[in-house]
Amino acid sequence: MEDFIGRISISIQKGKVDINSPYPPDMKGQPGAFELTGEALENGVSANDILTKAMIPAMGIVGDLFKDKKLFVPQVLMCAKAMNSAMSHLKPYFSSGEICKRGTFVIGTVSGDLHDIGKNLVSMMIEGSGWTVVDLGVDVKTEKFLEAIGDNPGCILGMSALLTTTMESMEKSVRTLREVYPSQKIIVGGAPLNNEFAHRIGADLFAPNPQIAVEFINSL
Amino acid sequence: MSYTPRERVLAAMNLQKPDRVPLMCQFSIGSMMQQLKPSPAEFWYDGDVFASGLVELCKRFKFDGILVSLHGHSPGWRDNIVSFNKLEEGKQEIVFTDRSEFHSWTDLPMVKYFNKPVHKGIDEIDVENDVPGVIDYIPVSQDLYFKIDKDHPFDIFLKLKEMVGSEYSIHGEITSPFDYLLDLLGYEQALISLILNPEKCKEILQKFTNGITVLAKEMCKYPIDAVKISSPFAGMGFISPEHYSEFVLPYESQFIKEIRNCGKHVYIHTCGHIDDRLELMQQSGASGLECLDPEPVGNVDLEDAFKRIGSKMFIKGNIDSINSLLYADDAKAERDILKIIETGKRGGGFILSTACSIAPMVSSERLDMLPELIKKAGRY
Repeated sequence: MEDFIGRISISIQKGKVDINSPYPPDMKGQPGAFELTGEALENGVSANDILTKAMIPAMGIVGDLFKDKKLFVPQVLMCAKAMNSAMSHLKPYFSSGEICKRGTFVIGTVSGDLHDIGKNLVSMMIEGSGWTVVDLGVDVKTEKFLEAIGDNPGCILGMSALLTTTMESMEKSVRTLREVYPSQKIIVGGAPLNNEFAHRIGADLFAPNPQIAVEFINSL
Repeated sequence: MSYTPRERVLAAMNLQKPDRVPLMCQFSIGSMMQQLKPSPAEFWYDGDVFASGLVELCKRFKFDGILVSLHGHSPGWRDNIVSFNKLEEGKQEIVFTDRSEFHSWTDLPMVKYFNKPVHKGIDEIDVENDVPGVIDYIPVSQDLYFKIDKDHPFDIFLKLKEMVGSEYSIHGEITSPFDYLLDLLGYEQALISLILNPEKCKEILQKFTNGITVLAKEMCKYPIDAVKISSPFAGMGFISPEHYSEFVLPYESQFIKEIRNCGKHVYIHTCGHIDDRLELMQQSGASGLECLDPEPVGNVDLEDAFKRIGSKMFIKGNIDSINSLLYADDAKAERDILKIIETGKRGGGFILSTACSIAPMVSSERLDMLPELIKKAGRY
């Protein structure tokens, strides 16, 4: 079992999606996260072990390396692809209840803002740490955030803004959400934000990078 | 000796020290809107309105130069409008046949396409047919383009020359081929393609570079002193130094060389964290660097940057528009700006500027501080 766990983990960390993927060059022709996960299940490794001992820790390592600027966006995107390819084998186990997600994370870019790359990176990393992600997309109005929280009781909410002007939309949304759901956990992120702003508008956390968001929600 | 504003900027770009530190920030569109409160759609589309706004702001805040961030305004921009709706004050909606646009005093226009074309994957791209040979648009932001009118690509520089003569330094702007690649494929798809199909990416980049080179050389025939290269995705926030060397540097270097051959200055604008690639950026042959965002938005220490590249490049920066202008109190703003002026003066060629564009909601009072502090501490 250890062998499969280690190899799946390495495949995800290195962004090796499947046997046909040319990346990384030093693993060309070798099985990737997709094949190894299928093989591991066939050999009796439990889905839960694959998820909790290989996939989630691997994405944690990826997140740390990205935080430290030792990995960059293209590599992280490949790691996420590898993770998703492995995850495709686990879907039946989630459906049957044999393994469970940690919870639900709802995320969106705030009203007036169409930027999505930061939001998408956070979504990938959080999904990779074992959460169900509900992505509301970009230019999300407060009403849509409210509706999503209502539809997903107990969820954690993430909000993204790339523009200083849409930080205002974020503030309005957070304040309204707080009135309706006072104890809702809210994470905010985006290049122009900082801790002070997050605190002032009533968010629980400013995540300057995806891994900080992952660490926060896993600590709740 | 007294310098004109233009002479001051030119001296700094030539790595000399004029009478005082020159001041020349780049306004975001939202910032211009906030200061001028124009008809937002006309300000975006009408070259006369835009040029007048640029001159007005330059004079109002005592800047030494004007950055022309959009060029190619079409005199016939109203021709294809289906409807033009004035909403509340400072807000307008324009409907074209393929899209609706929301223009406001707040920020860039927001565009919604009725049938948004899906990005082709890297393997589906036919370089010959899918990558334009002639660059006739500026990818301003996600889903936002500025069409360059082929019959009037650089009229705005003539308008400005007519308005200000040789008093101010006028700079044009072109966009990096790397941005065009990201726009063509979609950001995530493009960034993955750097890994999965690097050779195809290079073919696309080369074709964009050819078109941009033509555009840049043509621009240099107009009365400008410098060209700014907008390259916001080339920093550590997106790609590694290795990818920068492979996918950005070789292409930007090509038209930088041509611009320099035309006798114009050229500087690179890359936002965020770039401390690990200052020397690589210098290898491009550019005469200057812009931004150099300090912590927390970026990671450049101005003094260190001067030590590393200051003997060969001028530096235009590096006021944090958010934390030193927008959200700081007066004391912090003054402290931060004075520190940058002092550091800049000790360095080589230096132009005081915001690192990235002036954020839209920065007040006019805060902008007024800039020439005041230059007056107080900026003399050489």
